[in-house]
Amino acid sequence: MKRLLPSLRAKKRYLAFELISEAPVSRNDLVKEIMFSASSLLGDVVTSKCDIKVLGFEDWKGIIQCSHTKVKETRASLATLTRVNGKKATLHVLGTSGTVKRATEKFLQNHTVFEPEIKTKFKTAEE
Amino acid sequence: MGKPKFYDFCVHAVPDGENSVEQLAALARHLGYSGIALANHSDKLPQSRSMLPSTREFEVFNGIELVEENPSKLHGLIGKFRKSVDVLIVHGGSETINRAALENPRVDILNHPAFDKSSGLNQVLAKAAAENDVSIGLTLRSFLHSRGPRRVRLLSDLRANLDLARKYDVSLVLSSGAMSCFDLRSPMETLALAEVCGFEENEALEAMTIEPQRIIFRNRPGLGHIREGVEVLEEGDYF
Repeated sequence: MKRLLPSLRAKKRYLAFELISEAPVSRNDLVKEIMFSASSLLGDVVTSKCDIKVLGFEDWKGIIQCSHTKVKETRASLATLTRVNGKKATLHVLGTSGTVKRATEKFLQNHTVFEPEIKTKFKTAEE
Repeated sequence: MGKPKFYDFCVHAVPDGENSVEQLAALARHLGYSGIALANHSDKLPQSRSMLPSTREFEVFNGIELVEENPSKLHGLIGKFRKSVDVLIVHGGSETINRAALENPRVDILNHPAFDKSSGLNQVLAKAAAENDVSIGLTLRSFLHSRGPRRVRLLSDLRANLDLARKYDVSLVLSSGAMSCFDLRSPMETLALAEVCGFEENEALEAMTIEPQRIIFRNRPGLGHIREGVEVLEEGDYF
């Protein structure tokens, strides 16, 4: 099949995120939970317009793709994520960008993920 | 205008919530807040007041959320705690309590006023809130944890309250109402969620930045403060 012309492709935004959670989470569970919380907050119609996709997720960090006009809705639905696979979790969006490369460079490299177990250590190390 | 400073004015720590003050403060700071107010329910206060961790960029304010069914006892509790806390929140939920809280100018915030089949506010209460400068507090926690019909109810109550607040110029405060670390959301996500739920962009921003600062300014007057309306701006030898 012929590829779509670049000017005809849908414009996207890429959200870099970190997951703060009680237990390790697999990518599949996370995707399922994100889609479920989006469709429960926004409804199926708006969720389909948001075009949410989880592009990569490893080491508690990842990138989510969405439509460039629906960043706000996507962020709101990500905020309603409370549990993944029965374990408490929070998704923290680090920033948005127009390209995957820039999102990775700007937000994911050199970012240390905040883990609940090491919170107290984190605090004392700072002082 | 610099970067706005975000505050979360309703966070519950041990023994009310699950996590300690230090953990909550560290995470809130990591998420980008400039300060949180520790507001344990008044029936679950810690035995001793612990030192609150505060630095220049991040402050932990001392707050309380009063839970009481009886309006006259509520007024008594307000008098008892007012002097020792920066933020005084009343846990609403019945007609009499909502009314008592909104008609007392010493209260800062009335949280979740909704009960039975009402959003908790009407034109009389909204006017009282505006006159006495009591803010209506909206907590995110219930929106995050409910799904389906319950959340639909919460959202329609929120819209009704928003309409009243706009009409009578009542101030709003957005907070997380967090019981554990996992209930905290970063300021940007909170804003996005508030906008999806019916807030205007500037309303949501004000409810997280300007309103909390105003409450703190009101309750923590500067050094030269003598009484309301009288303030020493510059010390000097006038005589």
